[in-house]
Amino acid sequence: MHEPVDANADLLTPPVLSIGGVTKRFGPLTVLDRCSLDVAEGEIVTLLGPSGCGKTTLLRCIAGFWAPDAGTITIDGADTVRVPVNRRPVGVVFQSYALFPHLTVAKNVAYGLRMRGMAKADIAARVARALETVALSDFAGRYPAQLSGGQQQRVAIARVLVLEPRVLLLDEPFNALDAKLRGAMQVDLRQLIKRLGITAIFVTHDQEEALTMSDRIAVMRAGRIEQLAPPEEIFDHPATAYVADFIGSSNFWQSHAEGGRVNLPDGQSAPSHRAGDVTIMVRPHNLAIRPGEDGPLKGAVGFQRNIGALVEYHVATDGGGTVRVMAMRQERGRSIADGTRVTLSILDPNLCAVYEPQ
Amino acid sequence: MSSATALPPRGMLRIATDATLDKLLSGRGIWPAVPAIVVLAAVAVIPFGILLSLGFSDIAVERGAIISQTFTLDYVRTALADPLTFTVFQRSMVLALSTMLLCLFFGYPVAYLFLIGGPWVRRLILVLTIAPLLTSGIVRTYAWLVILGGRGLVNNTLIEIGLIERPLRIINTHWAVLIGMAQIHLPVMILPLIAVMSRHDRRLDEASANLGASRLGTLVNVILPLSVPGIGTGAALVFTISYTTFVVPQLLGGGNYLNAATMIYEQVVYSLEWSKGSVSSMILMATCLVVLVFIALITNHFTRWTKGREA
Repeated sequence: MHEPVDANADLLTPPVLSIGGVTKRFGPLTVLDRCSLDVAEGEIVTLLGPSGCGKTTLLRCIAGFWAPDAGTITIDGADTVRVPVNRRPVGVVFQSYALFPHLTVAKNVAYGLRMRGMAKADIAARVARALETVALSDFAGRYPAQLSGGQQQRVAIARVLVLEPRVLLLDEPFNALDAKLRGAMQVDLRQLIKRLGITAIFVTHDQEEALTMSDRIAVMRAGRIEQLAPPEEIFDHPATAYVADFIGSSNFWQSHAEGGRVNLPDGQSAPSHRAGDVTIMVRPHNLAIRPGEDGPLKGAVGFQRNIGALVEYHVATDGGGTVRVMAMRQERGRSIADGTRVTLSILDPNLCAVYEPQ
Repeated sequence: MSSATALPPRGMLRIATDATLDKLLSGRGIWPAVPAIVVLAAVAVIPFGILLSLGFSDIAVERGAIISQTFTLDYVRTALADPLTFTVFQRSMVLALSTMLLCLFFGYPVAYLFLIGGPWVRRLILVLTIAPLLTSGIVRTYAWLVILGGRGLVNNTLIEIGLIERPLRIINTHWAVLIGMAQIHLPVMILPLIAVMSRHDRRLDEASANLGASRLGTLVNVILPLSVPGIGTGAALVFTISYTTFVVPQLLGGGNYLNAATMIYEQVVYSLEWSKGSVSSMILMATCLVVLVFIALITNHFTRWTKGREA
């Protein structure tokens, strides 16, 4: 098993949100297992993982909808676990937005201020400013059902931003949007959060969303944080085979390491910090493909598809298994036809990752 | 040549017939409703027409059959001028409206419990709400006779704990009728409320709490406004059955408790004044409709947000 990730790595300022060893069980099921995570001022941290990995549970514990069975949650150094849900300085943007259908856009945004007993005139001014921030001033009098999905999302964001929360929690906020709108909204939302300097936790199962939105990504698996690092590091140096498999596509081989070197399937070798049986991971774009049979890693092209400027080949290797290769598509050049015998080689052996055997 | 243009070609006629047949067989348009319309006409519209005609005419009855009928406005005029009419309908109205409010007062907390409760609480509430409906209203009314009677449960308990010395006279009063009606009609209020609550999106409550609302704040600002359709339906149903109820006032109010239904019963069955009874029925129906329209208007006012959904 992996040790819990050290959460306090290289934070310069004291964390706004600090989660220490949070555990949550539902009956015999441990949904969160000693999760620790520190989030700095103005940082966007993504909880990334498949459904059931505990990311939403952690979010609900931070928001206060559920109480953790063990562990601490502090905001600005103050213990938050015992603070009731309606007194936490935390704003949640729900997956389906949970806008009040019986209230207009302006009243939805005003709701939190009204609950805090603010004067009517102040509420109106702040609501107007919040709606301006999300470019919805013209829709103040509409009901949520009269808005598009993207507009509803902006109302949900304005509704919590108007309260100036210390931590913004976003639970898969792009799920309800169609694919085309999603990309644009991701960029917009990240820019908005960055412009306002809000500390945010973002939950998603979509790696592309995570890579777009985050300053750091926490990849979660079975209630634990498997790796916590900036997007580039997660992508380039996945800490475990699980992370490598989850982020981007990967090829895995079983191999043997000895004397600080590991044998690669194409006959080359790479440095290894492990010894004995290992799993090696090679990204599809770190493989070269050429027709003919002049190397140890041979196979036949089984399937190919164009992805814009790239071609992805699925090569059935002679040793069994399918290897994915990503290659630049040659201009006017012909790609390698299905069924062709090909040889694969690793472009840069130093970029191969070595993990414990699986 | 000329005959061919004057008549539609044979093929076309056949298509037209097929379409009609197809419509009939596939049950499109108004056709599926025809059996219901026929039954309603036979058992509701026609008798109602007869009832209406009785109110506007002088009739002579011989051995249970009408032998002559002449038009007159006398009965309508007399009924409207009679102070007893006003008293009885006012009493019925007050009784029905207070039953409605009592049912709402006791029913809403049950519905709220249903909303926040787990699956077992929900099941229990559903069973406890529906079970009384499986027994006859008359049986439940008799049960109240036992409970509220001179030596009934209520009086015995009150005497034993020393609050009163002699049994209170509850039975055969307005209060007995009100208590009995509120209890017997309570499920009719709870069921539409539960229907609304079971569709309620609990994430809205979480959002409300996250935005700083207390449980009470969420109840008042989110749950209550969104359950207005259930309140409207429940109120309309309870009002209608309470306003027109016969059994409960007859049994718990004693022989002389007169509400609209018991009055009509006496006019038709004892005094055999069918025309009088007909006029009273029409007043009952008209006033009931007025209140129902009023309830509908209020419900509409509080559910404006459901209108104009098109973006």
